[in-house]
Parts: sequence; structure tokens; C-alpha cells
Amino acid sequence: MFRFAPYIWKGMIRHRARTAMTIAGAAVGVFVFCCVGAVQQGLNRLTQGVAANQSLIVFQENRFCPTTSRLPQDYATTIAKLDGVVGVVPMQVYTNNCRASLDIIVFNGAPPTDIRKFDTLRLIEGGWESFESRSDAAIVGIHVARRRGLSVGQSFTIGEVTVQIVGIFESTVANEENLIYTHLDFLQRAAGSANVGVCTLFEVLVREGVDPDRLATTIDSTLHSGPIATTTRRKGAFQASTLADLVDLIEFAHWLGYASVGLVLSLLATTTLMATQDRIKEHAVLQVLGVRPTRVARFVIAESLMICLVGGTIGMLIALTALAWGGFAIGAEGATIAFEPSWSLAVSGLAVSLLVGLLAGLVPALKVATADLVPSLNQ
Amino acid sequence: MSLVEIRGLSKVFQKGGETVKPLEDVDLDIERGEFVSLMGPSGTGKSTLLNLVAGIDRPSAGSIRVGETEVTKLSRAKLADWRAGHLGYIFQTHNLIPVLTAYENIELPLFLLPLSRTERQKRVNIALDAVGLVDRAYHYPRQLSGGQEQRVGIARAIVANPQVIVADEPTGSLDADTGSQIRSLLCQLNEELGMTLLLVTHDREVASLAGRQLRLDHGKIVEASRVRVANSTVGG
Ligand SMILES: Nc1ncnc2c1ncn2[C@@H]1O[C@H](COP(=O)(O)OP(=O)(O)OP(=O)(O)O)[C@@H](O)[C@H]1O
Ligand SMILES: [Mg+2]
Repeated sequence: MFRFAPYIWKGMIRHRARTAMTIAGAAVGVFVFCCVGAVQQGLNRLTQGVAANQSLIVFQENRFCPTTSRLPQDYATTIAKLDGVVGVVPMQVYTNNCRASLDIIVFNGAPPTDIRKFDTLRLIEGGWESFESRSDAAIVGIHVARRRGLSVGQSFTIGEVTVQIVGIFESTVANEENLIYTHLDFLQRAAGSANVGVCTLFEVLVREGVDPDRLATTIDSTLHSGPIATTTRRKGAFQASTLADLVDLIEFAHWLGYASVGLVLSLLATTTLMATQDRIKEHAVLQVLGVRPTRVARFVIAESLMICLVGGTIGMLIALTALAWGGFAIGAEGATIAFEPSWSLAVSGLAVSLLVGLLAGLVPALKVATADLVPSLNQ
Repeated sequence: MSLVEIRGLSKVFQKGGETVKPLEDVDLDIERGEFVSLMGPSGTGKSTLLNLVAGIDRPSAGSIRVGETEVTKLSRAKLADWRAGHLGYIFQTHNLIPVLTAYENIELPLFLLPLSRTERQKRVNIALDAVGLVDRAYHYPRQLSGGQEQRVGIARAIVANPQVIVADEPTGSLDADTGSQIRSLLCQLNEELGMTLLLVTHDREVASLAGRQLRLDHGKIVEASRVRVANSTVGG
């Protein structure tokens, strides 16, 4: 087979424009496939994983947008006393946009000493000391920093909130990298004097071995006697329900991913068929020279496979690079889904290219291997 | 034992509602080293006979043996393998692969044989030398003249040193001058290299080169000498 590689190669570049266009088509298709896959993976990460299931979110009952949930901050003391609670972090959430958006900015205000204890966070620029010592200091997730071009030393304003950026962090939880952390009391005051002593939610860390759902029920029933009723859910479930509308959309979007693969398949199958029809006589001549029909069929498949693999690899690399550098996230009501590159995305992009290349070559290859030689030669 | 042995060969085509029988119960023997030409009116089945010998078409009845091989009994894949080592086919139009150079075109059939790189090189150079195109080795078909292209086609047919070479009107699309070049090349293949040739042609001059001249008429093969005798009888 390898002896014939130069022949296959020269055949492929015979129609440069056609080959290049097919490669571009395959690249676009696999690009879309990878992007949609990244959204899907982001959603899966949000609702699964340790962070999503070992912590609880206490929110005001029947409220959805973070600006409408208003809980007395002293609930924290009550919750902390319950059995099975390791820690409680009161949090103020402030967002520029309660609707679904691709460029959502979400401030989370919490006591700085609590933020420092989050074991998911790692500062890659700036220092914790400057964050703790300055009341309007903020540390910015790497995705937001990339998206908005933010760096340490700048100030950043959204609505009535202006913060000084003193650090940039990475997180083991992708969607956390879309957040900006500030001091709780700063964000409360910035959001208006009525907000002092009031916070949006409590994040409750559950002791290992304790059933988070039982604890959630206990929290809600304990706080039921207070001035404002609460709903407590696992963090993953909370985020999924906040993003419910988006989740529906994303589930629809993954069909788009399959559709783009289908388009690549039909594009490639058409070009491969055209290429073989151009070469009916040549393929017959090869067989007269003594090349087995199955081997000529393999030439055809090799060609469509190569084209699809080259295009698919390009599309996959562009998608992964864009995802890595764009720091894209989609968000609604203060919760965000991060789109991140991953190895599994790269592998599935390549696998799809391989499969499509193979399938697209199959029918033309079969035609080539079974065509009668004499009529083909007389074309 | 003759090299090619054709027995009871028939071919029937269904064309629309009509049945065409270009070959009916044909017997033919070709000896090793023989140069046989086959003439006859258009549409009598000369190409059909050639294609059956080359195993690229199937007979309706009868058998063809070439050397030790029962050509009519082989599968399509086995036929391809057999052609690679034993049969050279010269087309009317050269049918070269346009994206490959003259050298690469000639080398292509050798990829199918268990030959080393140096052995392939040696054989391609011998074939190029035989057709007088050593200085055109790295030209693409579109950079060659019609006669040169046909010579590359001939080099490709002989490069694997086949048992039999079949040629279907090899001078059919060439002008007189280049035609005569090809004629002397064919003679040279037979006389100097001892190759066995079965050649279909409309050109009397080409046919006259052959040691044995045949005609195909109404599905039967007749020795041309006998045809001449018959003609003179009718004429006289
Ligand atoms: N695939 C086919 N289907 C139907 N009829 C065919 C087919 N191939 C050949 N024929 C018929 O068989 C007959 C012989 O054809 P063939 O090509 O062998 O003739 P030929 O002697 O080579 O003619 P020419 O000198 O014009 O090349 C013709 O009548 C042709 O129409
Ligand atoms: Mg013919």
C-alpha cells in the first residue's frame, strides 16, 4: 500500500481547489462539533463532580435571579450550628445581566478569609495579602480576565460597582474561572445601603459521610421560623435549575453538533463520488495493469480519509485554541457554564473525522471495485 | 504446447432486445514468441477477443489458457494478480496516469511484484531505453507528444516482462510518422526481446509485420492467407 502513497497523494492534490474546499468544509464541521461538545461538557461539569454534590446552596424560596434573593446574614450563625456543617460562607452575588448572556460578569462577595480557604482557587498573579487588606479589592477568574483583557493594577467598573484588581486566579472548577471575588461588605454597600446585613445565598460545606439532601431539609425547616423562608439544594442541582432554560437550549444545540457532522459526511461523500467519476477510466486502467479491485477501493477510501482527517484536525485545533484563549462562558442569573478545551474533545473530534472519512469513501469505493472494466475503459 | 490456447470461445451481448454474437466457437493457438495480427471489419469482435484473453471480460462459453493459467476460471482479484505478472496491455490511447511522470507510470505495475527498489529502477530504465525515451523520464504525459505517450504506454506494458502482450490498435490514433515509429518498436519487441504479441489493427502495414496474420469474420477466425486465396477465387 505504501508504495502507492505517491500516487494517492498526487491524486489528492490533482484538483487543488476542490480538495482545499472539501478540507475547509470538514474543518468547519468538526469546529462546530467541538464547540458544541465543549458546551455539553461544560454543562456536565456543572452538575456533576465533587463541588457540585458536596456543598449546598441556601437561597431565598421561590426566587431565581440573584438580585431578588435577600437573606439575613445572621442565618450563617444558625446554619453553622447544625450537625454535619463544616463551614458556611455568606455570599453576595451581583451581576450585570440577569438574562442569558455570553459575556456575563458575576461578582461574588464573601469574607476574604473564607475565599482564601477555598481549596479550588489558586492565584496565578497578585497576592492574597493585598486582597485582604484593601476593601475594594477583587480577584478575577482567568476566563473573565482573558475575555475582558483585565490585568492586576487595573480598576474595573460594572454598573455602580468599581473594584481594584489585585489578583487573577485559576480554579479546578471551570465555571468558577468566570467569577470575580470581592469582599462581602464591599459588595453589599456597593449594591445600596439597604443591602447591608443582607446576602444573596449561603454556600454550605457538608461534612463527608453526611447526606447533603437530608441536611438541606434540616436547614430549610430550621430557617422556616425566621423572617424569610429558604430553599436549599446541592450546588449542582441549584446551578442546573438556575440555568434550566439554557440547559434546554444546550440539549437542543448538541443536535446541531450531529447535524454539522452529517453535513460534512454528505459534502465529503459528494466530492469523493465526483472524484471517482472523473477517474472511472483511470481506475479501470489500474486494474488492467494488475491492481486488485479491492486495492483500488482502498485508494479511494484512503483519499477521503486523508481529506477528512486533515480538515477535521484543523477544525479541532482551531476550536480548542479558541476555547482555550477565548475564555467563553454562557451564563444566566449569576450562574455560568464554562466552555473549555479537553483531551476528550480532541479525541472525539479526530474520531468523528476518521469515521466520516471512512463512511464517505465507502460507497464510491464499492462502485470502483465492482464496475465492469470494458465499459469503463471505453469511456 | 502452445503458449495461448483458446477453445470453443463464444461471447454473446444483449443489446436492447437484440442479441449480438461477435465470437462463436473460436479456436486459436499462439506459440511462444509468435507475433500475431488480427484484422477485420469494425464491430466484428476483435477488441472483445483481446479483452477476453486479458481477462478483463468474461466469455459466454469456452476456455482460454495462457501458459499454466486457466484465465477463464480465475476470480476478479486473481485475474488482476495474474495480469500484473503475465500480461501486458497496450491501449489505443496511451491511458497514462496524468499526475505521474513517464518514469512513475512505467514503475507503477512493478509495485505489484515482489521487487526491490534497485531492481525496479533497473527494469524501468531498460523499458525506457527500449522505447527510446530515457531523456523524457521525468516528463508528465501532457509534456509529451502523442507518439511519445504511446511509447511510454508500451514501456509500461512490457516492464514486468509479461508472457503475452496484447495491443488494441496501438497506432490507431497516431499520424503516419509516429505510427511507423511504433511499428518498428513492436517489431523490435518481438524480434529482439522475443515477446509474444497479439495485435488488433485496421492498418495493413502494421498487420504485415506479424509472422502470422488473422482475420475475424462473422464470429470466426480465419488465416489471412486463406482469405486471400478465397478472394482471388471469387475474383477470378
Ligand atoms: N458491452 C457491450 N454490450 C453490448 N454489445 C457490445 C458490448 N461490447 C461490444 N459489443 C458489441 O460487440 C460487437 C463487437 O465489438 P468489438 O468492440 O469487439 O468490435 P471490434 O472488432 O473491436 O470493432 P472496432 O474495429 O470498431 O474496434 C459490436 O457489435 C459491439 O457493438
Ligand atoms: Mg475494437
